[in-house]
Amino acid sequence: MSDFLATLPSLQAYLLVAAMLFCIGVWGLINSRNAVRVLMSIELMLNAVNINLMAFSSFVDGDLIRGQVFAVFVITVAAAEAAVGLAILLSLYRNRVTVDMEQFNLLRW
Amino acid sequence: MTVGASSAATVAAAQRFQAAMPDMGASLLATQAMAAPGELLNLSLNASAVLPEAAVLLAMIATLLVDLAGEKVATRWVPPICYIGLGSSLVLLALQWNAPLEPSFLGAFLADNLAVAFRAVIALSTLLSLLISWRYAEKSGTPVGEYAAILLAATLGAMLLCGATDLVSVFISLETLSVASYLLSGYMKRDARSSEAALKYLLVGSAAAAVFLYGSSLLYGLSGSTSLDTIGLALQSSTTPLAALALVFVLATVAFKIAAVPFHQWTPDVYEGSPTPVVAFLSVGSKAAGFALALRILVGCFGAFDDQWKLLFTVLAVLSMTLGNVVALAQTSMKRMLAYSSIGQAGFVMIGMVCGTEDGFAAMVLYMAAYLFMNLGAFACIILFSIRTGSDRISDYAGLYQKDPLITLGLSLCLLSLGGIPPMLGFFGKIYLFFAGWANHQYLLVVVGLVTSVISIYYYISVIKMMVVKEPQEASDVVKAYPDVNWSLMGMQPLRVALIGCVAITAVGGILSNPLFQWANTAVAGTPLLQQAIALSSLKGLG
Amino acid sequence: MTIATTTELICFLVLSAVVVIGALGVVLLSNIVYSAFLLGGVFTAVAGLYLLLNASFVAMAQILVYVGAINVLILFAIMLVNKREDLKAIANLTTRRAVSAGVCAGLLALLVRVVVTTPWSLPGPPAVGEEATARIGEHLFTDYLLPFEVASVLLLMAMIGAIVLARRDVLATDVVTGEVADQGLIEKARTPLLMNRAE
Repeated sequence: MSDFLATLPSLQAYLLVAAMLFCIGVWGLINSRNAVRVLMSIELMLNAVNINLMAFSSFVDGDLIRGQVFAVFVITVAAAEAAVGLAILLSLYRNRVTVDMEQFNLLRW
Repeated sequence: MTVGASSAATVAAAQRFQAAMPDMGASLLATQAMAAPGELLNLSLNASAVLPEAAVLLAMIATLLVDLAGEKVATRWVPPICYIGLGSSLVLLALQWNAPLEPSFLGAFLADNLAVAFRAVIALSTLLSLLISWRYAEKSGTPVGEYAAILLAATLGAMLLCGATDLVSVFISLETLSVASYLLSGYMKRDARSSEAALKYLLVGSAAAAVFLYGSSLLYGLSGSTSLDTIGLALQSSTTPLAALALVFVLATVAFKIAAVPFHQWTPDVYEGSPTPVVAFLSVGSKAAGFALALRILVGCFGAFDDQWKLLFTVLAVLSMTLGNVVALAQTSMKRMLAYSSIGQAGFVMIGMVCGTEDGFAAMVLYMAAYLFMNLGAFACIILFSIRTGSDRISDYAGLYQKDPLITLGLSLCLLSLGGIPPMLGFFGKIYLFFAGWANHQYLLVVVGLVTSVISIYYYISVIKMMVVKEPQEASDVVKAYPDVNWSLMGMQPLRVALIGCVAITAVGGILSNPLFQWANTAVAGTPLLQQAIALSSLKGLG
Repeated sequence: MTIATTTELICFLVLSAVVVIGALGVVLLSNIVYSAFLLGGVFTAVAGLYLLLNASFVAMAQILVYVGAINVLILFAIMLVNKREDLKAIANLTTRRAVSAGVCAGLLALLVRVVVTTPWSLPGPPAVGEEATARIGEHLFTDYLLPFEVASVLLLMAMIGAIVLARRDVLATDVVTGEVADQGLIEKARTPLLMNRAE
């Protein structure tokens, strides 16, 4: 145990944290009934990806750090996506006065 | 022990590969280390490769500026600006055809013939979608300027996606296309159906993007680079479970973008809820971009995992063809029926990809081009009918031929072509796909394709029967109260031009399809990426 | 073990715990406002992880954009749509949650296995450390120039689109004919995806 601890924080440790965050995000995506919470779960997944990229960037690609640049782009896009998502949510809320995903869910096949 | 040794060997090989690679980033560092800032400026960007996109971008900015002057001015001036932008973009694309290949933006973009062909399909689909959307947007009281600007931004993203050769540019252009598509599908904001479609599309799409990103972060960790070439080389020397996992993640996103079963769940709802002209763009432009992405990543990067992704794609293609065409039988709404039929059509195109031969790729390109005209022609007819009557129920088309022969003729020809009846354009596209599949021994795919084609002909014909065979007294109430045809309103003439153009090409293109065949073959011949894949697979066939 | 590595280890363990427990809170808590604040905590802890990885620029970007913009935006959205809803009960909700938890646990096991068994090409080249910010700038204006420019188009388009969708006024009339516009009602006969507007 102490041997393992001594190697921390290794690349694998960061990747494990990212994997857990990603899976929690996936679970929230499937199970949330509130549309805002679904958006939050997606943000969690994107953060997991960013941890992955940053960890690879400093452990595998330390001199060129392309992963850091990639992460900056992911952050940018996440901001745009969140803004658009909330605008759509507002416009839907005006029509429907609910944010319950079950009521939007009329998939027939 | 041997396992460890061999994996160490593969890692060493991967590192050697990386060292041997002409990595843009590394050469960049070298340049930066030794030289004054002036030296940096001498790196050739080769930015002329994205001139077609620049034309689209300029049109977008001009549209936004004109829109500042008010809605009336925008209605008058936005259409010509869009035509000029997209037209010059198409001309610039034509000039890039068969041009000498040079990676541009230091390896972020490559304008090979494949990219040019798919970008042309996308630009043309935007042009046609815009032609058929003016009247629809005005009648629904949505701001035209912003609509056109967002659609042009979506086009920009889709076009860049076709040529992107770097994970970061793939991601950014994919997201430009996706975010613009979410906005467009929610554009009828007073209609709850439109907003709901947009929300569903956004949630599923963002989740797909996150999955894609997870996959690409693994690819980055595996290769230490974001360039697709380097990743492809690293994948050749490493067959770890990591690569397989990345393959599954990336493939899921690609399948989402081309709406292959079982990643199709969003399609029917989004197609039904979104404004119809937007659906026209999504069903052709967005799908073409998805196929271009699939070719770049799967064929270009995962060449070492040929058997695996081809197996997965075979399963997806069989499911798409079967489910898409069978469920389409049961639909009562025209848009929903076309949504399922488009799922089936994507399955047909995937046959070409699974083949991986010269003919297979050429058939893909050809079918995408044919699909552009026949599908947009069908959408033009549907939009015209819904503007006149406010309905898109299939049963409301009953007896239409007496009131509106133009829609009846156009829709019939386009649907027949989609079903693959000779001598329409779609027939030649489909037969080429099946021929390529048969030559490559993909018997299962071809047989499923043939059977589902017959099913699809059944539901296409039943729409035509509805329009043509009914007696006048059997016509639907909507058709009985059919308004007089008035082409003088602003926005109706472009709609008519698009409709007649698409229908004419669909009908006559089949007979005169030789140039199209040549075009598709040149597209494949002028793409080193595809040529390598073909050479590899023929080597495999021999050995 | 030196003091420096011990401190790093403790920081890493604390931050990871905050990230994972906070994320669990985000998806599990029933009150959405608590979830939003916990989300802010997760974002901040992730920024802390970036600092441990010697990436101060990205850590600042993470704080500014995620905590400062996205989280605040989410809080605004919660306040704008803050009607208390009594969600209708769904049959088999617990089963559904358990099954999806099983699926996610399977995914996690797969990811963990892959992470642990993959022979990463370690150690990589020496890290740039403090020069990271300058290097990111160099990347943005050389080999990532194209995505950088496209990102500006993406942001412009997202801004315009979000404003168009979120603002209230829509044209009341057809500009060309002067008739009353019937937005969304062009296809009146379509079966609606949704039930009528709730009371």
